[in-house]
Amino acid sequence: MDTLTNFMNGTVALFSDPVGIFIFFGGVIGGMLFGAIPGVSMLTLAAILLPFTAHLSPEHGIMLFSVIYCTGVYGGAITAILFNIPGAPENAPTAFDGYPMTQKGQAGKAVGAAVTCSAIGGTISAVLMMVATAPIANWAISAFGPPEIFALVFFGLAVASSVGASTFWKGWLSILLGLLIAVVGLDPVGGIERWDFGMPYLLAGIHFIPMILGFFAVSEVFVQVEKKAKGSYHAPKLSVDFPSLTELFAQKIAVVRSIVIGFFCGILPGIGATLAAFMGYNEAVRWSKDRKEFGTGKMEGVISSETANNAATGAAMIPLLALGLPGGALTAMMVGVFQMHDMEPGPLVFLNSGDLVWVVFSAMFFANLSILLIGYLETKTIINLLRIPFQFLAPLILLLATVGAYAVRGLAIDVAVMFAAGIIGFFLRRSGYSVAGIVLGLILGRIGEQTFAQAMQMLHFEWTGFFFRPIAITLIVAGVLTLLGSIYSSFFKKSE
Amino acid sequence: MRNLRAGHIVEAVFWLGLVLFLYLNSFDFDQEIEIYKYGASAWPRAILLLIAVAAVGQFAGHWLRGENRSLGMLDKASDDGAEAAARLSDHNNPKWYAWTFLLLAIPFIYMNLPEILATALSLEKPGLHTAKLLCAAALLIVFILAIRGNPVGGMLTLPLLFGAFLQDFGFYFTAPLFVLGTMYLMGERRWKSMIMIGALIIGILLALFVSLLYVGLPTGNISPFYEFGTAVVNLLQ
Amino acid sequence: MKSPMKILASGLIASVMTLVSTASYAECATDSLPASMDGPGGFSERALTMIVPYGPAGGSGQVAQAMAQAVTELTGVNINRDHKPGGSGTVGMTAYMAVPADGYAVLEHIDDASSAHALDSSKPNPATDLIPLVISQITFSQIFIRSNEDRFTDWDSFVEWVKAQDGKATIANVSKEGSMERVTMKAISDATGMTIQQISFDKGAPRYGALAGGQVDALFEQPGDVRKFLDSDTFKPILTILKEAPSAFPDVPSLTEAGLDIEPLYRFRGFYVHKDAPADRVEWLQWAFQKAFCQQSYQDFNKSKFMHLIESFRDTEGARELITATIGQYRDVYKEMGLDVK
Repeated sequence: MDTLTNFMNGTVALFSDPVGIFIFFGGVIGGMLFGAIPGVSMLTLAAILLPFTAHLSPEHGIMLFSVIYCTGVYGGAITAILFNIPGAPENAPTAFDGYPMTQKGQAGKAVGAAVTCSAIGGTISAVLMMVATAPIANWAISAFGPPEIFALVFFGLAVASSVGASTFWKGWLSILLGLLIAVVGLDPVGGIERWDFGMPYLLAGIHFIPMILGFFAVSEVFVQVEKKAKGSYHAPKLSVDFPSLTELFAQKIAVVRSIVIGFFCGILPGIGATLAAFMGYNEAVRWSKDRKEFGTGKMEGVISSETANNAATGAAMIPLLALGLPGGALTAMMVGVFQMHDMEPGPLVFLNSGDLVWVVFSAMFFANLSILLIGYLETKTIINLLRIPFQFLAPLILLLATVGAYAVRGLAIDVAVMFAAGIIGFFLRRSGYSVAGIVLGLILGRIGEQTFAQAMQMLHFEWTGFFFRPIAITLIVAGVLTLLGSIYSSFFKKSE
Repeated sequence: MRNLRAGHIVEAVFWLGLVLFLYLNSFDFDQEIEIYKYGASAWPRAILLLIAVAAVGQFAGHWLRGENRSLGMLDKASDDGAEAAARLSDHNNPKWYAWTFLLLAIPFIYMNLPEILATALSLEKPGLHTAKLLCAAALLIVFILAIRGNPVGGMLTLPLLFGAFLQDFGFYFTAPLFVLGTMYLMGERRWKSMIMIGALIIGILLALFVSLLYVGLPTGNISPFYEFGTAVVNLLQ
Repeated sequence: MKSPMKILASGLIASVMTLVSTASYAECATDSLPASMDGPGGFSERALTMIVPYGPAGGSGQVAQAMAQAVTELTGVNINRDHKPGGSGTVGMTAYMAVPADGYAVLEHIDDASSAHALDSSKPNPATDLIPLVISQITFSQIFIRSNEDRFTDWDSFVEWVKAQDGKATIANVSKEGSMERVTMKAISDATGMTIQQISFDKGAPRYGALAGGQVDALFEQPGDVRKFLDSDTFKPILTILKEAPSAFPDVPSLTEAGLDIEPLYRFRGFYVHKDAPADRVEWLQWAFQKAFCQQSYQDFNKSKFMHLIESFRDTEGARELITATIGQYRDVYKEMGLDVK
């Protein structure tokens, strides 16, 4: 009953404070808006707002970010559906079926399904988060050291390599390319300059936000430009008819399956929601009788992916609060909000500032609920963006992406990196490689190298040390098995 | 051999070439770290090795079995039309690639040439700025002449050029030109609507980010673009 | 072989002694400056930009925020902070050197700029390529253990325990070779004759988490950064890396008390302007930043970060002396360590 009491206290604290209410709704609307504007994303908004949170109380700052997180993940689905531009990597699988639905004139149905399922997945995940975070935090602080985190990263990459690309080799090459890009800059053990090619700005390393913007938003603009140049561009048809309740209820199995997948994937640091969305989609295809329809505009595809990535939002708060490990780009910025208020996310925050944590938990719960209400209203306006002719929409998207890339850390080179990624993405997308895999490798590369180095230092450079750490060795064995499994199927399974 | 296509060879050569290039460059940072005996280069080299293995493995797979798509559950789904669009266009011919890659070199020339000139002629800051200004003007003219008949190549290059100019000439000066250029390359020729919609786009952007959220977009470092940029910021904030 | 840190003895002794003895907190260092000053020729009619080469959340981000707020309170001039993190401060420094030197842009930087110049003199020297406006934070490091640790309880038992582990004991430290933290830790291990494996963490949170969660045996850090853990009695210091113990930590042995003959290195954070900025504007900026140091909001901030334990203030001249001495000492240490000093 502790959980319920804490939740009630958090709710009262949240809604008895006018400033808190204002920030809550500001975050809900802002997250959805930025998520739904092509080119910028909740990450842009979060990066811009980060310095401002110094003026807020820690409760308000962290609450604002968690609300933006919940609603932004949903908002990113809208651009994925309408423009094939996922607001974040976790919305990428939503585009697989969402965009074809738009092209078939069913944008309203796709967005409506995304709204409903995001709300359901997120709300249930928030409840699970409330129950599970405290025990996991208590356990994880001593159980998860660098060797375990390295093992977790390895496992996450092994799983992720089997989704998203057209073949086993291309999946791994994509991830390895991401890992390679993560090497640029200062090494995480001695601060030694690597592959900077004499450019001081490259010492900062290559950030994943410009890469995401480039691979998804910019390269999509290029693809459309090419279609337009060849006369094969057709403006998508509009519709605002939402799916009926019966249609949605028919998908209940997909929803439940994706919630389970989403929550468990969400716990993995660094990849959480992205992996969740891909796995949710992947399983939907695997379980389905008519696999061939996926990718042509099947509502179940949108539902599986959107439920899973929102179900991961609550779960992603667990490693953040329990281990101080961000589950993705936005939770990484949340670490910044904590530190700005002189707090370190991790078990200590959970134990020392319980009140704060519960305000945040309640805020996330209600933010997910409010997706339903505000989402329906907002969506009808957003869909009208499609009416803008593409030659006018394109410069807007590109400029918004420019601001988004620059605002992360104030470096003009990030804008150049973003456009270069756009060009590379444009060519890669013709060839079966997975841009999501590259981004994943980039995000996890540094954390992987650093925890590997720390693990080696701690184990005195004896590899056998992993065998004496049961969690680490279990994860590594699971990763190796996953890897072997996908090698096996790539060599011996007949092509479909 | 019958399963092998030219593209497969290009792919393998690309990956192995990348591995070789980066491996050679990894000697620059092949130093010991006092508290870490693997040093700074072990991890990147391990990745390079894995890439080489994967590239060879992929090549062997292509050789023996042709295009292998056994894992392709998501493949069809992730086919978002990019491949189809490429097939439809005549952009698969080598000439288009060659021209486009030459175009793409223009921004990189700007990123490097002025510094090389400045070092060679031992220029101070004002001299460097003049060199940058002249390079930018010359490259812009080359760009405009080179994109005739290749709007897609132009569209690929223009944003990168914009990104390269951003630091020196500032967002406030380059963005309007970029917006107009984008519209033009996408086939829009109605100047009135281009200017009006361009002004609207820039206006909304500046109002939201600069006036409301105080984002410090680059003002440029070269006079008089720096003065122009700071004057705009001053006006908006 | 002489310990690298011994070489440091030359310069800092005198300044350290004055530091500790003149620390009095009732009055503030710049009380004698005029309470207001007109900017030259309408300077500054628009907001200043402060380039911060670190993220908004860390120690530098916070001091930049507090100082900007204090200057604005004092003068009414707004300061926009422009964070350009990366490359241990190199990226922000490079960006700052490219900005026009009209006095509208100032720079926050820490002692990393001095050690970077010591290693590679093509990097800007903060004392001569820039004009220090003020140094507003100077602090020292400590070695921390968990408060509930039972294998050892103080410095002496810690050293004994570490020696008994035969090189298997661990301490969490930063991830930049040649940094103040790593150089100091090496000097301490050399001076005590113990072998301890340093584990490198580039971010604060995981570093502290590693100690709290029992992944490492000790932690090297500045007290202000782990104040929360000290207040909650999660961590406790066992060695203060100063010649004399400050009043806030009377029971923690200092270097002298621990019998370690090494010179402490400091973490310092300050504010700079380009050397080519117009002189009258520089004069106004010096006044504004030095006077702002004594604003109540800034003083409160410094106290909350344990930045009042030793005198944190240096004016332009004092800052130049500190930076020049620091560069000289790092250079000697690096040569001694066999690093390639350019």
